[in-house]
Amino acid sequence: MIRFTAIRLIEIAAMLVLMSFVIYALIGLMPGDPIDLMLGADPHLTSADIARLKVLYGVDRPLIERYLAWAQAALHGDLGYSRLFLTPVAATLLPRLGNSLILMGSSFAIAFAASLGLGIAAARRPRTRFDGVVNLACFAGVSLPTFWLALILILIFAEGLGWLPASGTGGGENGDLADQLQHLLLPVVTLVIASIGGYTRYIRAAMRDALGQDHIRTARAKGASEARVVWRHALRSAMVPVATILALSFGTLVSGALVTEEMFAYPGMGKLIFDAVMGNDYNLALAALLLATAVTMLANLAADLAYAWLDPRVSYQ
Amino acid sequence: MRLPAFLLALIAVASLTGPFAAHLLGGDPAAVDLLHRFAAPSAAHPLGTDELGRDLMLRLMEGGRVSLTIGIAAALAAAAVGTAVGLAAGYLGGWTDRVLMRLADGVIALPLLPLLIVLAALDLHKIGISRSLAESSGVSLMRIVVLAVLVVWTTAARLVRGATLVTKSRDFVRAAQSLGAGVPHILWRHILPNVMAPLVVATTLSVGDIILLESVLSFLGLGVQPPLASWGSMLSNAEELISSSPLLAIYPGAMIFLTVIACNLLGDALLQRFDPREPGRT
Amino acid sequence: MAHDQLTIGIVQFPPALNPNLEAVAAKSYVLGFALRPFTVFDADWKLVCLLCTELPSFDNGRAVKTQLPDGKAGVDLTYTIRPDAMWADGVPVTTDDVKFTYEFGRNKQSAVANAEMYREILGVDVKDDKTFTLHWDRLSFNYAAIDDFVLLPAHLERAAFADPVQYKVRTLYATDPTNPGLYNGPYRISEFVAGSHIVLESNPHWAGPVPYFKRITIRAIENSAALEANLLSGTINMIAGEVGLPLDEALAFDQRHGHDYNIIYKPGLTFEHVDCNLDNPALADRRVREALLRGIDRATLVKTLFAGKQAVADSFVEPLDAGYTGDVAKYPYDPARAKELLEEAGWHAQSDGPRKNSDGKTLSFELATTAGNRSRELVEQVLQSQWKEIGVDIRIHNEPARVLFGETLPHRHFDLAMYAWMSAPENSPRSIFRSDEVPTEANGYAGENLVDYKSPEMDRLIDALEVELDPDRRKQLWAKAQQLYATDLPSLPLYFRSDAYILPKWLTGVRPTGNQYPTTLWSTDWGEAK
Repeated sequence: MIRFTAIRLIEIAAMLVLMSFVIYALIGLMPGDPIDLMLGADPHLTSADIARLKVLYGVDRPLIERYLAWAQAALHGDLGYSRLFLTPVAATLLPRLGNSLILMGSSFAIAFAASLGLGIAAARRPRTRFDGVVNLACFAGVSLPTFWLALILILIFAEGLGWLPASGTGGGENGDLADQLQHLLLPVVTLVIASIGGYTRYIRAAMRDALGQDHIRTARAKGASEARVVWRHALRSAMVPVATILALSFGTLVSGALVTEEMFAYPGMGKLIFDAVMGNDYNLALAALLLATAVTMLANLAADLAYAWLDPRVSYQ
Repeated sequence: MRLPAFLLALIAVASLTGPFAAHLLGGDPAAVDLLHRFAAPSAAHPLGTDELGRDLMLRLMEGGRVSLTIGIAAALAAAAVGTAVGLAAGYLGGWTDRVLMRLADGVIALPLLPLLIVLAALDLHKIGISRSLAESSGVSLMRIVVLAVLVVWTTAARLVRGATLVTKSRDFVRAAQSLGAGVPHILWRHILPNVMAPLVVATTLSVGDIILLESVLSFLGLGVQPPLASWGSMLSNAEELISSSPLLAIYPGAMIFLTVIACNLLGDALLQRFDPREPGRT
Repeated sequence: MAHDQLTIGIVQFPPALNPNLEAVAAKSYVLGFALRPFTVFDADWKLVCLLCTELPSFDNGRAVKTQLPDGKAGVDLTYTIRPDAMWADGVPVTTDDVKFTYEFGRNKQSAVANAEMYREILGVDVKDDKTFTLHWDRLSFNYAAIDDFVLLPAHLERAAFADPVQYKVRTLYATDPTNPGLYNGPYRISEFVAGSHIVLESNPHWAGPVPYFKRITIRAIENSAALEANLLSGTINMIAGEVGLPLDEALAFDQRHGHDYNIIYKPGLTFEHVDCNLDNPALADRRVREALLRGIDRATLVKTLFAGKQAVADSFVEPLDAGYTGDVAKYPYDPARAKELLEEAGWHAQSDGPRKNSDGKTLSFELATTAGNRSRELVEQVLQSQWKEIGVDIRIHNEPARVLFGETLPHRHFDLAMYAWMSAPENSPRSIFRSDEVPTEANGYAGENLVDYKSPEMDRLIDALEVELDPDRRKQLWAKAQQLYATDLPSLPLYFRSDAYILPKWLTGVRPTGNQYPTTLWSTDWGEAK
């Protein structure tokens, strides 16, 4: 078990190093460079200015050289400065990370709790009308284009009814909690609708597998109450696949939800990564993407370890 | 099963016969008519016209052709890639298996959307593809297909690998091996047919996923470029006019929704037919 | 209901606020509230002093013609900083700031965006705390305008500039944007949340007229549907014109909610046109270019797509500009004449498909513009459809702005390219029309004469008008340049872009300038209708 964990950790570290290079190279392969971007915004720039700025920002050097310089600094804990915001990368990332954790965390909690209830309820009544309706609703949920959903919610609630502010994080003028919650409502609703279908189907399937297993039948035969069968025995074995969604969702806590953030002008990680990539902000894009990757991979490791703990039949040598 | 299959067939037929229908109706989906912008539905324009006075119904058919082409082409390509990887990993085992499956795990674990953005914005010219080729409109379609394949191939790979592992220890495969059948023969004749059913299901489901993915890329401005239009790009174009002409956004959105849900329902129905015990997966 | 604060929506969050690094519209919009340039063009397109006491002129003796060692004419300009000008931490604005800014601008490692201006200033002489003289290496008619010379507070920024290379990340505008000492305008920035919003509060040390609104919040909302929804729900009070909705979306908004808002459409200095690469043999024929222009119905296009809110262009000079003349050749929509011209040029109509010449070559061009610019993409499809009518085949090929402007256009890999020139009042067309401004490998792809336009007459006119100090004689030179452009048609003029300002009915005093200076520079005129 310890050996397994150690090997996986080494693999993760290797993967991150590999990823950092791949991302660096990919951004380098995007058209134009930071100075070309400035050029587009400022018609006064002359070619002499451009040549001077390219040297100054170091974009005249070969990609590999720049990457090695970045890697060396990063190993010493210096992630550099964001080109877009001219601030240290860590200082740029942290507030966005916080925002994303709030948005994604609350949507995930709500969606997960609701789908746990729905999934179990549907699994206990297979092939009933209720099961069918839940199933269809789930499919509808996963089939909606997210930005279409967001658009329609904005149209109805913010524009049509004028109930809710359509964007931002609140704060600023009157940053009380109620205000912040109000700002969170529409993006959270969007994310919940978009994710609940998938979760519910997953949990329903896992519960039905679990309810069909031998030891559950044994428990039933022994006269255990239905509630006890469901909540004690079946849920425990259903937890294994559920741990997988938990793990996979963990990554999105950090990488954010680009489309929803864009639609509601919510300053989260998704938007940050998008802007950094599009704005050729190497340092920021690298740090954000690597953080998201690292968290996702660690969460997957945690899920694998949780399997072993939840299900004694699984073991890792 | 019948309803979603029927719906899908209808959408596909309508989309693929688009050019023919346009010819028949005497319209051209690209013909601009500035004096009849945002026209209400009429005999000449059954669904009205868009912001440039183009016939909305013809445009939807045209957009469907692009969306479905991307969806189906990418799903098939992903199935092919996934099958090859899955067969190799499952049959050969050992290091091949380890490396390939780690790769699949890696792809699943990565934050995909941000990486896709990087890939979608790549300058193909910089990686040695000639300028004229890198800039042709066929390449902008291919790029989206390739991106979709990169995301979707893992499902098929895992399925095929699993099925291969099970099948390869079955008696008839062992018998074939002992009779001296070659590896390609065994894979083709004995193993592939056994993984066909789950593969068909996975591919059906992925058509829907890819159409959704394409619409997200369009929303970010990284999808197909004008004059080509997909449902996704029509939707994101109409987004800005949503309050004044909501139908321009609602139609393509609804088409995406209907197509994707039909794919999902069909996939689910197929799954239950192939494996009645299976309660369905997401 | 009285308002003591105002919330403004913009579509782009500005990068770090240092005025001399990287010019971005959103940044100059925000800084208009908080920093004073020396000189600007106001809404009447008159040059005015904001931070100085009076404009130099030869009459008041503040401008003195000089002779440079190489025999060319230069000019010495003397400015006096307003005596009451202060940074918002109470430190007076002095010539020390001038010296520091000049030192920063001249330093080759400083990442200053517009170094050209600093190269033109040969030196700075300081007379006292408030008065200084700039020695300029050339004398042009707009010599008194030094709007790009925006002061940095020496008492704060000098320390950050100790290492010039690191200045771009150490500048307090990036590390401590709410430091009051960085601002000298009616407002200072009191809160800066990257990617979300900026709060401005009135500057206690501001000596000019007290602004009506105590507090101004600027929110960046990139998605325009969300931006409009925020306006309607009252989260924001107005949408800036300078960094706001594209015209077609503003028009759609106007249709539904126009009666609840005061919507101002202001034509500006952005000249949309289609460049014709004159190296293309077909396009080198003037008849083909005229046919293309006559083949598009610009009047209807402007009327339907833009509700007539932006003007059809006949030449490259904006009607509000001092140099404008209406007396140029005009080419209204005339497909019949367009077809004739193409026949004359040897491009013959075919029974189906585009025209061909006697060599069997098809009349077909690639049309490029910036991908993702919805308005341009729409217009482009209109052009494609209308040109098809006269037998010209158009293949659309769009690229992201940075590819188009960074690669494709400078390397001149295009047939037709639709984009805009942004200029300033009476801005010399040197870089776009002079024959030595064609980008080549030899000159490092500088210059913006992308079409390879070579006209000795245009070269002469440009040289003459830049140094013509007499306004009337200059106006004649401008007129000749426009007439020559309209005859030669190196590019196809489309229209001048307008900005849409969506304001609440109670807000008064916002006067769009139509030039590159944002309304926010005059925020002390803003108020509330009683």
